[in-house]
Amino acid sequence: MRRSLGVILSFAVLVGMFCVGSAAAAWPEKHVKLIVVYGAGGGTDITARLLAQGLEKVTGKQFVVENITGGAGWVGWSALAKAKPDGYTIGYLNIPHLYAGYLDPKMKRTENLESFTPIMNHVDDPCIWAVKYDSPHKSLKELVEAIKKEPGKFSIANHGYGGDDNLAVLDMERMAGLKFNVVHNNSTTISRAQLLGGHVDLLGANVSEVFQNHQNKELRVLGVMSSKRSPFLPDVPTFKELGWDAQWASTRGVGAPAGLPQEIVKPLTEALVKVINSPEHQEKAKQLGLALDVIPSAEYMELMKKTEQRIKTLMGW
Amino acid sequence: MPDILTVLSNLFSLTSVLAILGGICGGLVIGFLPGLTSNMAVALLLPITFTMSPIPALLMLTSVYASAIYAGSFSAILLHTPGTSASAATVLDGFPLTQRGESNKALRIATFSSMFGGAFSAIALLLLAPPLSRISLMFGPAEYFFIAIFGLSIIGSLSSGGVVKGLLSGILGLLFSSVGLDIDSGFPRFCFGYNDLHAGLEFVPAVIGLFSMAQALVMTEEVQKSIQRVETPKSSEWRVFPRLSEIRQIKTTLMRSSFLGVLVGILPGAGGDISSWVSYNEAKRFSKHPEQFGHGSLEGISASETANNANTGGAMIPMFTLGIPGSPTAAVLLGALVIQGLVPGHEMFDRHGSIVYTVIIGFFLANIVMGFMGMYSTRYLSHITTLPNYAVIPVIVFFSVVGSFSLGHSMLNVMIMLSFGFLGFLMRKINMSPAPMILGLILGPFAEKGFRQALILSRGDLITYLLKSPISLILIALTILSVATTVYLGSRLTKSAAPPEEYESLTGEKH
Repeated sequence: MRRSLGVILSFAVLVGMFCVGSAAAAWPEKHVKLIVVYGAGGGTDITARLLAQGLEKVTGKQFVVENITGGAGWVGWSALAKAKPDGYTIGYLNIPHLYAGYLDPKMKRTENLESFTPIMNHVDDPCIWAVKYDSPHKSLKELVEAIKKEPGKFSIANHGYGGDDNLAVLDMERMAGLKFNVVHNNSTTISRAQLLGGHVDLLGANVSEVFQNHQNKELRVLGVMSSKRSPFLPDVPTFKELGWDAQWASTRGVGAPAGLPQEIVKPLTEALVKVINSPEHQEKAKQLGLALDVIPSAEYMELMKKTEQRIKTLMGW
Repeated sequence: MPDILTVLSNLFSLTSVLAILGGICGGLVIGFLPGLTSNMAVALLLPITFTMSPIPALLMLTSVYASAIYAGSFSAILLHTPGTSASAATVLDGFPLTQRGESNKALRIATFSSMFGGAFSAIALLLLAPPLSRISLMFGPAEYFFIAIFGLSIIGSLSSGGVVKGLLSGILGLLFSSVGLDIDSGFPRFCFGYNDLHAGLEFVPAVIGLFSMAQALVMTEEVQKSIQRVETPKSSEWRVFPRLSEIRQIKTTLMRSSFLGVLVGILPGAGGDISSWVSYNEAKRFSKHPEQFGHGSLEGISASETANNANTGGAMIPMFTLGIPGSPTAAVLLGALVIQGLVPGHEMFDRHGSIVYTVIIGFFLANIVMGFMGMYSTRYLSHITTLPNYAVIPVIVFFSVVGSFSLGHSMLNVMIMLSFGFLGFLMRKINMSPAPMILGLILGPFAEKGFRQALILSRGDLITYLLKSPISLILIALTILSVATTVYLGSRLTKSAAPPEEYESLTGEKH
């Protein structure tokens, strides 16, 4: 009896030491799960897989992309928020798509921004407005004049209520005194087909989704909603240049469950910076039309809070 | 067009051949397993192709796509569990043949049809992609609304258990399709405070439930028996190719369904499911023996299997030329193109000609090779129908659960699958066909979105807006024709001694 008690005790001590040892060891010790709330092959998925590839090289551990879809993104974000904050479950946060799921009082959701530890912003993809290449409206100014002349005549295709394209439309309607007929599609590829087929007058989308079509002269991007011109569309003015300070974008960054300890945040951030600044990653991002915009943890949270406030005012939530 | 020798030397390099063969093997396995879809097959392989060069990467993914859609017919025919949702229509005629011990006949018809449809679509992709891609732009909200209505008019002729039950099943499908966040207002519809339902009821787990899970439940009633009810008749001995007499029976169906499959494939978002149902219905309408449909008609099998494979090449037409995927699986393929740095567009055929033409010709070859590889594997595969049910049931349930889980990495889809499985079981007990429900689920969102967008774009003058395009008018005429022929066929069939068992032949109970 005594002997067996001794065995149990020494075993417990051994296990205890092992646990302590593992807590002190450097992150990561095993594979890391990277949650993406949209399906395989989509924009976020491609970004995430590029990042995962780089992270594997830098850390020597596997980064497994897991597409947890459904619930307008929130099945995956809930899973991320509820995961253990141990650095082995991280995920992509999509701004502004994250907001509608908890700001809208209809949703009665308990999670919010505080449920996450923001790690770093990765990609910033500004909103644009585009017309068909052969449209009579060659500039934003002309278009706005035409819309004002015949309010309610112009239609614009968007990617769902409360999404970034839609927020941009609402903001411009308010700022410039416009009125649109908005049709929503669940994919920008469908919206683009509707524009190219002449079924709608305008397309609200993001730079990475249209810059190739702009270069191919299939459609004409009239303006970019960012503080400065996009490197992918150097010939297109910003809305700000033209007198409307509309700044909207779809941004993607990496987040973790709330309460991720600093000793993990630090190596994770370092690994991310290393990957994002590598020439390979920069080259791939350029091909995809993605503007890399590294914003570290604290400022990233601040940015998200600011956007949250803008959306609250705009949508009346 | 680039030098043909460059294309051929690209294609017959070791890596390309291995990519095609590996893709076909992977596709056949994933396609055959009930619950694992073509979408998933391509998505699973997508990360592997990141480090490959463009030609083998795309050859592998397109081969997986083609062979997974093809192999979906194996389990549809042998087990009443469509391997991919695009083979759901194949169940209706394939499974009765299996019960009669003629599974090899059904499989060789499905194989020949898939090869034919796939190869036809590859040729369309090779020769006519730029002009055909225009079709995908001609379809606006009004046209989408009418094509969905046309699709729904099929319900009448699929209602094997009686028109009222068929309509009820279809309406339930439409109702289920309206669950989820309303895209125009962000309002959660029929979610009952359950936030995970915001993206709606996914269609694929619903199909897995209604067919595969329900089949497993039906089989639990007679665990000692097996699917095949009789000794394999001598007339249906194993052969790779259909007999000439069999090909003669299906030759018009092959042509019509290839054409329809490519056409539906070109339409953005409309995948293999819609093309196989539409072509099944058209085959029945023009058939000399519509009464055989649902009881082992070779034309029925051929219609569904030709069209879903013809859809694959069709779906790639707007993907390559416009960057607009013609089916959900093509949307994942588009991701692969983008990762490889290939920019879709009209110039793609010039700028990356040697890659694109190699991939298309490789896709054509894959459609031929998969038929041989598939047919030789079914020789042994079809023995599962003689196994006792207690051995088969756990396998079906296992893959149904795994398949629905891996769709979104959450238990939500498993719950949806199980609920539809139970519902499907009850429906079979009261002799109600699940086919109309599936049509409702697929076409409901198309019809609703088309109609609501038309309402907005018409600015108050809906009738003029809906009727202004010739495509809409053609679709309206086709819908009227469809309903009229269904009524006519229905009255003709009841007069000429309708077969006594209606839906029972599917459930495999009353034999």
